[in-house]
Amino acid sequence: MASAKETYRTELRAAARQLGERCLYSAAKWAAELLVGVDLDTSPAPSSAMDSPSSSSAVSAGRLLHLHRSGGSSFRHRFRPGGASSSEAGTPLGGVSYVSTPIPDDDSFDSGGDKYLLAKTYFDCREYRRAAHVLQNQVGRKAVFLRCYALYMAGEKRKEAEMIEMEGSLGKSNAVNQELVALERELSTHRRTGSIDSFGLYLYGLVLRDKGCEDLARTILVESVNSYPWNWSAWSELQSLCTSSDVLNNLNLKNHWMKDFFLASTYLELKMHEEALKRYERLMGIFRSSGYIQAQIATVQYSMRDLDEAEMIFEELLRTDPFRVDSMDIYSNLLYAKESLTALSFLAHRVFLTDKYRPESCCIIANYYSLKGQHEKSVLYFQRALKLNRKYLSAWTLMGHEYVELKNTPAAIDAYRRAVDINPKDYRAWYGLGQIYEMMGMPFYALYYFRKSSYLQPNDARLWIAMAQCYESDPLQMIEEAIKCYERAANSNDTEGIALHQLAKLHDVLGQSEEAAYYYKKDLERMEAEERQGQNFVEALLFLAKHYKNIGNFEEAGHYCTRLLDYTGPEKETAKNMLQGIKRLQSGFPSMDIDHFAL
Amino acid sequence: MSLFAGVGGGAAAGEPASAGGTGRALLELTPHKLAVCHLVQVFAPPAQAGGDVVPPSPFESVAHHNRLGLFLFTLTRSCDDFREPSLEELLRQLKAVDDLTNGCLCEQLTSTLSVLISPDDLFNFFDKLRGVLTAPEGAGAEDILLDPNSQLGVFLRCCILAFNSMTFEGICHLLADLVMYCNSTDTSYDLAEDEDFDTEMNNLMDADISSQADIFEKYRQGRESESHMGESSSALTRAPMILHDLDEANTFKVDEDNPTSLRSRWQLEAYLNQQADLLEKDPSSVPLNSFNATMTQLQTLAPELHRVQFLQYLNALCHDDYIASLDNLHRYFDYSAGMQGLFGRSVSAVQDVIVGKYEGALLCLGNLHCHFGHPKKALEAFSEAVRVSQMNNDDSCLAYVLGAISNLLAKIGMSNTVGIVSSPYSLGTNIGLGTPLSIQQQLLVLLKRSLKRADLLKLPSLLAFDHLSLAKFDLKNVQRPLVSFGPNASTKLRTCPADVCKNLRLSSRVLSDFGTDALSTSSENGSFSTSWLRNLATASDSRRSGSMRSTKLHNDFDNFHYLGQPSPIPSPVLQLAGSSYLLRATAWEHYGSAPMVRMNALIYATCFADAASSSELSLAYVKLIQQLAVFKGYSAAFCALKLAERKFPSSASSHIQLLRMQILHERALHRGHLKVAQQICDEFGVLSSSVCGVDIELKIEASVRRARTLLAAKQFSQAAAVANSLFSTCYKYNLQVENASVLLLLAEIHKKSDNVVLGLPYALASQSFCKSFNLDLLEASATLTLAELWLALGSSHAKRALSLVYQSLPMILGHGGLELRARAHIVLAKCHLSDPKFSVTEDSEAVLDPLNQATEDLRVLEYHEMAAEAYYLKAIAYNHQCKLEEREEAAACFREHITALENPRKEEDSLAY
Repeated sequence: MASAKETYRTELRAAARQLGERCLYSAAKWAAELLVGVDLDTSPAPSSAMDSPSSSSAVSAGRLLHLHRSGGSSFRHRFRPGGASSSEAGTPLGGVSYVSTPIPDDDSFDSGGDKYLLAKTYFDCREYRRAAHVLQNQVGRKAVFLRCYALYMAGEKRKEAEMIEMEGSLGKSNAVNQELVALERELSTHRRTGSIDSFGLYLYGLVLRDKGCEDLARTILVESVNSYPWNWSAWSELQSLCTSSDVLNNLNLKNHWMKDFFLASTYLELKMHEEALKRYERLMGIFRSSGYIQAQIATVQYSMRDLDEAEMIFEELLRTDPFRVDSMDIYSNLLYAKESLTALSFLAHRVFLTDKYRPESCCIIANYYSLKGQHEKSVLYFQRALKLNRKYLSAWTLMGHEYVELKNTPAAIDAYRRAVDINPKDYRAWYGLGQIYEMMGMPFYALYYFRKSSYLQPNDARLWIAMAQCYESDPLQMIEEAIKCYERAANSNDTEGIALHQLAKLHDVLGQSEEAAYYYKKDLERMEAEERQGQNFVEALLFLAKHYKNIGNFEEAGHYCTRLLDYTGPEKETAKNMLQGIKRLQSGFPSMDIDHFAL
Repeated sequence: MSLFAGVGGGAAAGEPASAGGTGRALLELTPHKLAVCHLVQVFAPPAQAGGDVVPPSPFESVAHHNRLGLFLFTLTRSCDDFREPSLEELLRQLKAVDDLTNGCLCEQLTSTLSVLISPDDLFNFFDKLRGVLTAPEGAGAEDILLDPNSQLGVFLRCCILAFNSMTFEGICHLLADLVMYCNSTDTSYDLAEDEDFDTEMNNLMDADISSQADIFEKYRQGRESESHMGESSSALTRAPMILHDLDEANTFKVDEDNPTSLRSRWQLEAYLNQQADLLEKDPSSVPLNSFNATMTQLQTLAPELHRVQFLQYLNALCHDDYIASLDNLHRYFDYSAGMQGLFGRSVSAVQDVIVGKYEGALLCLGNLHCHFGHPKKALEAFSEAVRVSQMNNDDSCLAYVLGAISNLLAKIGMSNTVGIVSSPYSLGTNIGLGTPLSIQQQLLVLLKRSLKRADLLKLPSLLAFDHLSLAKFDLKNVQRPLVSFGPNASTKLRTCPADVCKNLRLSSRVLSDFGTDALSTSSENGSFSTSWLRNLATASDSRRSGSMRSTKLHNDFDNFHYLGQPSPIPSPVLQLAGSSYLLRATAWEHYGSAPMVRMNALIYATCFADAASSSELSLAYVKLIQQLAVFKGYSAAFCALKLAERKFPSSASSHIQLLRMQILHERALHRGHLKVAQQICDEFGVLSSSVCGVDIELKIEASVRRARTLLAAKQFSQAAAVANSLFSTCYKYNLQVENASVLLLLAEIHKKSDNVVLGLPYALASQSFCKSFNLDLLEASATLTLAELWLALGSSHAKRALSLVYQSLPMILGHGGLELRARAHIVLAKCHLSDPKFSVTEDSEAVLDPLNQATEDLRVLEYHEMAAEAYYLKAIAYNHQCKLEEREEAAACFREHITALENPRKEEDSLAY
């Protein structure tokens, strides 16, 4: 085990150095963080921690089977993903080992070594064109990569500048990276002749993605990560191109341990929370003190509405890494949801001091203002966040919420719509759009949006209830459709119990008392289980008492009447009267009681 | 001496308003604008103190000078594309204008532009431009050649202003663009990869026209030539792909070696309006995908121009793509919040407080559902629109919604609202109708309300629309007072043609009133300039490559003077005015005046073709061809049909398709080709939708034709069953006018099946229906049937029958078709022959004349059955006169027709024409 960890460390160490040398900063940062995150204690880790997510039998079977040595490097890894989640795409089965990948030798510093050094320093100082110029006529792979990368960065920088410069009255013009065509030509030639390394492939993938050739980009990126798996930037580019689980399943990826990181994060993106959590927990066993994994787990748990657990992790994370800004926007969302104002203000203050020009920081501050009820300021900070990153999805949605609070419906609709156009799968924004239109008294129009959102998130009771309420609303009065929606909601774990109550009511309205009684009973059971009482409880009891009396089941009716006697209010009197009536009926007296008729 | 003074006054007032919201420069400077600026300078050189000659130096005559001025004027206003033309294109157009000076203007232009290489050059360029607008010291204001308030003056000022407010970065961009702009002429213009598809296309390509709009024309021509060759279906599937390729080639070309510079916002909107008109006029001419590609490209260039999404919605709608149209509709309204002016197609004045106008979205949504045949959903959307627009006090929208609801109610047959409108509440209380009313009553109430609102709010277009709908309503419905008390309430149960006429006339007032409507503010949409430029290309084209006129859906007078000015009336108004003529034709069809039908349809086809949508225009053609078939026989009708099919090449033109089937069916019935008739009947059945209430007219026509086919096959009981069920359907949907003809059909069936006594009540009922709906021609036909029925009861009733025939003759001879006339003549002869008091020998002409007339008419119609009858009667008459030779001749003819009827040969010929 320790040796396996040692191998990880060796690999990551080399990777961080190699990536850094190629000026792939964020990938290098990621690798280095992970390197530090590898569990430090050399004593054998308790295996229970590792086995927890997977069934132990599968693991032990795996251990038995896993005896052969992989070619290339000699390390092997005993803890593969377990059999529990083996149905997922590309997950190695219980007995399949990770494919190990040899760490490539770096180009030794040849004649051009000095020039490369110079170019790298230029690059570090963000003088991209100069860096590219220095490396002209260098043929080493490393030099070629850095030159191309510098050109790409120069083009990107120019593009950003042009975006601002060319802003016309009809919106931004489509500024493009001018270097793309030349870069594509050069890199594709290199690829044809085979003189391209995995970093070059990564860059080629970037260029292709920017040109809009997504399929080819995906292929190239897969090639890149298969030959050099430690480049996290390549993985995350690949992830951004995996828009559905079908695409993900069709990727031809080698079973490197880095793939687990990729899969987990992609699952999170595709809202397959269970799978993501499983994978992260397994990885956690090895990279015990990795902040990245902790943050991701917290994010998953937040998405699964497990707020307390997520909060604990975030707190822990902040304790060990107080100047962290990454993923802190999620933490602020969580604090917002829990309405813990002080913690949020503390967080906002901290990130503000760390780096106020990060979209995450702006978002946290905006959340803080929103919780304080100062929605104008909140909008201002969301706008700043969006200025820093136009594609910041959750900021658009949250800004939509703020505009709703400000009663600025057109702006809210615009914000939500932009979120939807960035990611058509963002069911929250669709839901927000529906809510706005419903608020404006356009339930029929809102239905379109609710349909969209419930299509994307079919197991969310809230969405079905919203749709049902539209159908049920006064102008539409489409009771049958409403019942269908409530049924869906009741079947998909409706925590607030609105659906059952409404179902019972609507069936009652339609005169279907059998169905109504069925749902009232279910609702009663639910409320009893949750030990909740209130008006709904009384209503259910009253209906059931009447219903059973009407169909002649006096015993049941009496039972419900007696329970009603526990409550104060007019229902108590009604119940008393009813009980008397039932007694008379049961004793065989002819029913002449006026009270009885009055019921 | 200011030329073009005040020409663009309106535009000058309009443009700042449209750009006012953003607070940015009015237009963005592009190399193309620089070129135009230079030309303006040439056109109106800075005034020099002292001698200035008219015309200025490079021009040879005043006409020449004016020609350039007109060219520049149109350049600033044309909207045939969203991109600005390349330098090459500009030079070509300039050459066409500037024949006389041997292209010296072109050389001057290129040389001027190519020396602009540093920011300072640009400063000097604009400095010089300023001289055009300001008089030098010591000279009076009248020395300036160009009025600063004219179109060109405003343009120049905008350019100068834009340059002055430009940042240094902007100037750098402009310079870079300018270099590319100038270089684009050097690259040889070739589209070699497209050369393989069509020779005609190739010729056109060589004739080097490259603007996007022209491609549509070329495409149309290309496609026509293809459909001449044969299978139109394959041509249809292939053609859009060709255009798509072509489009793609073009866009890539532009992307790679030409900076894509957008036109000014005003021009863009005009372009979009034009495309919308095109979509409405003839959706089949706009291929779905390539149009979408164009729109997407435009959207990437101008993300804040949301109207593009509306066009995408229209495009999807026209091509029956439900999902895409729904998505685009919602996207458009989410972004624009209904503020980009739905009714007035121009940007409305900027308001302080933005409140969304989402009721417009609901109106569109309702129309969408209406288009796709979901009446229930459409009604829900409309009633929500009513609610929301009442809530937001949007009266004009409310008026439009009411109009839309009445349109829906009129269009889609509904037996009653219950069950369609889910809650009686939704339509009932909102529109203020307490008690449930029949659909017709609701329709009338809605129409009147809409009319009143439109009148109050001064919406002439809606007013015209409502008048038209009312006319339509009056045509087919007897108006009873909704509430009638006491004995004084009028009980006149007849339709009122005067009302129809009044409404039709009132609807035409839109032609003079449109000025007050927001809809027509788009009258200055640059279409004049666009067509002028296009004609310029065609003119110079035809000079080189001989005459190659395109066959477009245009007014005929355009062919005579193609450089003429198009109509100043905006096309939506023209369309409304035109539909009143179409409705007139329909009304006269009902009332039974053939010449009036012809006349109105002809007016429509000649005067309103420009603005008409292809479906409405094809309807006018259908009416004309139907008249031909009835009055001139089938060969003439088929000739015309062939022409019409060529004019409306797409199979999407359902009117023409139906017409073809109608005529074929009639002919098959007349010829006695029952199998063919049956086959066509089945086709009719397939065409009508299975959804209840939708395309009710088509459904009724299908059943009528089935009953008639069965009747011709002498399967009387089945025919009667079909007709009976048809009657109950018509009754259910309140289609009284159709009932009249169904009743007549029932009478026919009983007459043919020798149940004369049963037939009489039907004929009488039909007659009274016709009376109350003023269906004069149908009434004459019913009277004729009545006469036949009396006659069939025995010779004692001949006198009564004769009087009935005489009663109907004036109408029939005046307006009836060949068949009806022949029938009348035959009945007349029969009456005489069966009248015991009548002697043939004494007055042979009274019998023989009508019979000769009838045989003549029936020969044209190829109506064997009746022709046989006529010859039979003729033979009898000759027999009475003892003219044996003639008798034998008539008998031979009789035999000929009978054999043709009983042994139909070459039945398959009946499907060809």
